[in-house]
Amino acid sequence: MMNSTTASASTLSTEDISVWFGERQVLQDINLVFPANQVTALIGPSGCGKSTFLRTLNRMHELIPSAGLAGRVLLDGQDIYEPSVDAVDVRIKVGMVFQKPNPFPTMSIRENILSGLKLSGRKITDADDLVETSLRRASIWNEVKDRLGDQALSLSGGQQQRLCIARSLAMNPEVLLMDEPCSALDPGSTRRIEETIQELSASMTIVIVTHNMQQAQRVSDQTAFFLADENTPGVVVEFGRTEDLFNTPIDPRTNDYVNGHFG
Amino acid sequence: MNRKPWAQSSATFKVQLALVSTIPVAIGALFVILGGFDFSIGLIGVFLPIQVIVVGVFGWLKAKKRGLGDALLIFFTTFFSTLVLVLLLSVLGSVIFEGFKALSPHFIYENNRYVGTTTSLEYGGVGHAILGTILIVLLTTVAAVPLGIAMAVYLTQSQSKMRGVVRTVTQSLAGLPSVVAGLFILAVMQFTHLERSGLTGALALFPLMLPTVARVAEESLRLVPADLRMAALALGAPNYKAFFQVILPAAKSGIVTALLLGLARIVGETAPLILTTNMNNTTNLNPFSGPMASLPTYVYNFLGSSYSSSQQRAWGAALVLLIFVGILFGTARILGRKKSLKTSKKAK
Repeated sequence: MMNSTTASASTLSTEDISVWFGERQVLQDINLVFPANQVTALIGPSGCGKSTFLRTLNRMHELIPSAGLAGRVLLDGQDIYEPSVDAVDVRIKVGMVFQKPNPFPTMSIRENILSGLKLSGRKITDADDLVETSLRRASIWNEVKDRLGDQALSLSGGQQQRLCIARSLAMNPEVLLMDEPCSALDPGSTRRIEETIQELSASMTIVIVTHNMQQAQRVSDQTAFFLADENTPGVVVEFGRTEDLFNTPIDPRTNDYVNGHFG
Repeated sequence: MNRKPWAQSSATFKVQLALVSTIPVAIGALFVILGGFDFSIGLIGVFLPIQVIVVGVFGWLKAKKRGLGDALLIFFTTFFSTLVLVLLLSVLGSVIFEGFKALSPHFIYENNRYVGTTTSLEYGGVGHAILGTILIVLLTTVAAVPLGIAMAVYLTQSQSKMRGVVRTVTQSLAGLPSVVAGLFILAVMQFTHLERSGLTGALALFPLMLPTVARVAEESLRLVPADLRMAALALGAPNYKAFFQVILPAAKSGIVTALLLGLARIVGETAPLILTTNMNNTTNLNPFSGPMASLPTYVYNFLGSSYSSSQQRAWGAALVLLIFVGILFGTARILGRKKSLKTSKKAK
């Protein structure tokens, strides 16, 4: 099933990423490496800049008018913020799944899957195969295979989110960014998305923001803990193997957070 | 089987309700029929106060102060909406009733070439005015709708600081009296030696249609969740594709409403057309030369006459205009309906 659509994963890394909104700095000197085929979880209390950081990785951050940025984001060694690099090309290689499911309401399930290719102006060869492969990879094929022409909004919330994942997968990204993809979903849908993430890591690099400690432990290979003290920009307090970070954290603040003492 | 247990009411309640809804009407009717009161006095002076008191008492008995408020709210909303509905229906009714007398097949397609003020209704019609209205409205629409939507796009999608200025100008343009729009074009015509034509009429309608379309389209574009645009951009869409393939389709029914309200704004406009293109008794299919008839100016011209056959023509034309608008709205609604994707049967 996963024939030509399986991409090579890429290594993503950031060098001294700092982020501003207007005059207010929200992130300072973030240095992280996301090795190919690894799942990285970003954890931390609300408002510490995890989602903002995620959006710098596929140049969605710059769509906010007051946004500012310093540092470099390297995709296989190439800085994606270099003037010669087109944001659209970056977004094609680095896919994104949002916190709230956002299928296109005027399109059918099938059209949603194909929308990415259409919107980015790429040729679609063998649409049927692509639709099936993408839906299978997002483990939703069996639920929708008989109703591909139905409106995407006729699906349940969990199904819509998996449809959005399938939509990103149809683009065959090298990196997939997920911004709290399960925060609005029930445990059943959450479990299936987690299984999907595990399977996908064979073919791509995944970065996932989550508020769920158990989820981070279940799905990720490495974890970064973000924290922003009051009125100071967010920083990465600790970054390492997920096992180590949860079981033998070095920083006491990490220990407090992962054990639920604050946040 | 009763599946609405909350809708049950006691026998006492039913009796009370029956009394509340009949007694004031009966008293009012007595005053009008036996007392010789004028109908409007019977309605406002007798029926209304009694009804308010009765409704108030009824509500108080049911749930004290809370019931009083509820009962009065329900009564006043029902009363006034009925009143407005009756007024609207009577306008509609009189147009249909009077207009129907003039209506006949030849009234729809013939023009007024050999019609004088006293000519019998067996001759002549509004065919030329229908065509004129269609042409003038079409010309205005072709210019105002794309521009109005373009303005709405600018107002919703751009980050420019000029947006405030554009929005303010649009809104003040919406308050422009239509006769002033007509006068402005008339002045331009004097200045440029442009002669009266369908085009000058369309020009005069243009500033009336534009702000309506722009404002309503802006509202509908604003209602499209920002999420959708973000989703499209995250999939590598350039801005224009995100707009045309995702945002615009999502706002489609609102855009159609903008078109409809724009049409409604201009299709019955009379003053600007009287000033800029006026009347023509013959069919003129060239909107770029010569005066052009339209339904509203036709109504205006004939309604002023003291001859009954002319007045009949005016009513007939008004009815035709109403039907025309009805057909226009019906078609647009069907076109604007959300694409109905097939709903599959539950397959096992």
